[in-house]
Amino acid sequence: MKNILIVTLLCFNVLLFAKENESGNLIPDLKIKLLNGKTTSIYDLLEDGPLMIDFWATWCKPCKLVMKHLDTYHQTYSENGFKVLMINQDTPRSIGKVKSFIRSKNHQFIVALDPNQKIAKKLNGLAMPTLILVAQDGTIKWRHQGYMPGEEVEIENQIKEILGLNTEAESKDS
Amino acid sequence: MKKVVLFIVSVTVLFSNDLDYNASIVASYGDNYDFYSYSENRLDLNLFYKDIQAWIQYEYSNPPEVGFPINDIRKFRIEYEKDNFTLKLGDIYEIWGRGLAFNQIDDQTTNYDNGTRGLYFGYTNGGLSISHLNGNSDIWYFGNDLRVPYFKNSHSMYGNQAQYDWDIFSIGLTQLHSNETHQKYFGEAYVNHELKGIYGSMMLANADLFLEYVDKKSTEKENLFPGSPFDTLKNGYGVYGNLNIYLGNWGLTTEYKRYVFDRGHGDFTADEYGNRIGFQMMPTLGREQNTTLLGRVVHPYNYNDERGVQLSLTGPLPFGLTLLTQYAHLSRNDTWQSITTFDWENKHIDGFLPGSNESSLPFWENYQEISGFALDDNLYFRFGRGNNKDVMKTIRFFDGQGLSIKENWVYTDSVEWQDEWFYTDSSLIGIDTTKYKLESKMWQEVSSITYPFELSYSLNNGYSFKIGFEYQERKKKNVSMGNATTYNASDSSWTLVNPTNPDSFFVIYETQYTDWNSEKIKTQFNRMITFSLSKASKWSVTINHDQSNAFDGPKTVDPYYNPLEALIFGDLKYFTGNRNKSAPPLFIQQKWVSAELALNLSESQRLSIMYGSIQGGLYCSNGICRQIAPFNDGIKLTYSAIF
Repeated sequence: MKNILIVTLLCFNVLLFAKENESGNLIPDLKIKLLNGKTTSIYDLLEDGPLMIDFWATWCKPCKLVMKHLDTYHQTYSENGFKVLMINQDTPRSIGKVKSFIRSKNHQFIVALDPNQKIAKKLNGLAMPTLILVAQDGTIKWRHQGYMPGEEVEIENQIKEILGLNTEAESKDS
Repeated sequence: MKKVVLFIVSVTVLFSNDLDYNASIVASYGDNYDFYSYSENRLDLNLFYKDIQAWIQYEYSNPPEVGFPINDIRKFRIEYEKDNFTLKLGDIYEIWGRGLAFNQIDDQTTNYDNGTRGLYFGYTNGGLSISHLNGNSDIWYFGNDLRVPYFKNSHSMYGNQAQYDWDIFSIGLTQLHSNETHQKYFGEAYVNHELKGIYGSMMLANADLFLEYVDKKSTEKENLFPGSPFDTLKNGYGVYGNLNIYLGNWGLTTEYKRYVFDRGHGDFTADEYGNRIGFQMMPTLGREQNTTLLGRVVHPYNYNDERGVQLSLTGPLPFGLTLLTQYAHLSRNDTWQSITTFDWENKHIDGFLPGSNESSLPFWENYQEISGFALDDNLYFRFGRGNNKDVMKTIRFFDGQGLSIKENWVYTDSVEWQDEWFYTDSSLIGIDTTKYKLESKMWQEVSSITYPFELSYSLNNGYSFKIGFEYQERKKKNVSMGNATTYNASDSSWTLVNPTNPDSFFVIYETQYTDWNSEKIKTQFNRMITFSLSKASKWSVTINHDQSNAFDGPKTVDPYYNPLEALIFGDLKYFTGNRNKSAPPLFIQQKWVSAELALNLSESQRLSIMYGSIQGGLYCSNGICRQIAPFNDGIKLTYSAIF
């Protein structure tokens, strides 16, 4: 009972007093190990514009479905400074196959490795796929768990909105 | 209590202006007629304040799906990172190289947690990074109970790692020391482990290479007198290599492993210790299966004693298709000969490659898959074919020579009585010995072939449907061969099937599957059909039908007939009240039907409701396998949210 009270109080305090921001929390500046062996950080990737983070693994079926769309968005909106960061959670058991998989699909997005889920735990991305859309100032604008075919429309709308482009809905209204 | 509350309020108010957070909640509940009930609730809270990060995981589970009931803060960690320094206090999870020496995970599904509660210190400068960690770990393993772990291995450990990255090269050195209190079937053992490792990688434009080696020494304290020395218990080593070659969009992945931390012709039990420790979570070199039926025929990897190779080729085909092919061959490091029923003698397999001799418990795996998109990317399909063969265990395995002894006697004295001669004495004039081939082998092997198929089509109005079908043929048999059967301890020899003719060889295949009538059945046929309909961002409904014709073990009876089964099988009698629900018809047996409704309550909240039955079986993740009990005629609720 004592522990329940402590945790409840902690959550309540955090939610009540944590930095108020109309659109969401700030993402921490975590270090990222890229597939090409180099190291970067989330805020380095945010230098040119917003960032979509997706957690995935080579054995995750819905991840592969959404991946195709994310790669398209990465290439389509790169002129607007938008990037997609795919954080891979394959364990040492299958991590050797990640690069082959990415090359076979000719994906252009940025791929990072997180073999023991350090980053996933800090960003609550343990369920795959988990999408996190981050504005250039580091504010988390949108989170989404899972993928059903058709949800790519909503994903693209969120990207357009953060880039200040007309969304599908707005286009219809106008 | 007051102090804790005051502290929390003070800290959050004081630092509120710069405090960021995220949180996730996972709550699951399950109940069925087998009393397989669970209630598992976890809250993860991450706090970020300038250079400080904190993580708290609170769990209320009574009981959890697997593991011990808990109502407490399960995990916590505080991290401080400034310039080149990192300090962590609490539950540490790190990985070095590919995990031959150290790879920490917290896998809720298999209930495997090898994290360390302690202190971590890290320093980076340019390409150089060094780290030190120390603390305590309790690693639990399952015994006979499928849900509650039984064996506990406690480690008091410290470790050091140094890595240097230079352009396309990277090299790392590792060292780990652990004082283990190892729980046996009866009592405990006190074992010290010392691991030293090295790894390196190189990345080129069209290839990359990774190599890792770890050396391990274990010593045991034989008696508990203070100051008594530790005696050498076991020495071992592990090697892993991964070479990837890229040609255009094609990629060839090659992997090699040789783990020699112990030697054995069977499974290792809690009484065999001093070998690989729970921190060592290494590449397994088998395919990470992602379909249900293929997942059930996974090889039980042996981290202590196994070598193998794996090749995987991936690349694009015309019309937007992708091809994936994979081949793996594993075995133990030795072949084994049963000198008697209980005495086994090993012989190291020459060379680097795995063996094919049944006594080395070989495993072969082969998988091909074609997948792609069509119809303006609205249609996704995947068709695969996987087969494997696994020698699970050897009961006896002798291949050598037997000795046939023939005595030659002559009569040396005789008497005549009533016109007839009678021999009264004889003498041994020689013994003829003849060597002959003696073979007495018995092993159990499992082989299967599986065809997974998946198709999903997305309509333009947000609706989509998915059809999945898997078909599997599986054989599990005991193979006996040779000209002898059991070992006879009284005269120290193998029992010939035909003592007068040692050339009488036989081969017997005995299937291990039985059907509903307890009759032996040669092949197990498994089929799984999944149909799913979903509305993007809103909901999805999935119906799953799993069917088998044979039991792999004791016969299990489904005593309860639920409306979902009646609906799926079109049993009108059930709904018109003409069916005795407590005496289910035969056609529902050996079938497991479930329906799941998943609702996206919001972008970050999901609710899933499952009703029906799920077949149990072997489940493996990260090389850790556990038997999952069947879930019969019950309901599962899962709520998850991220904030």
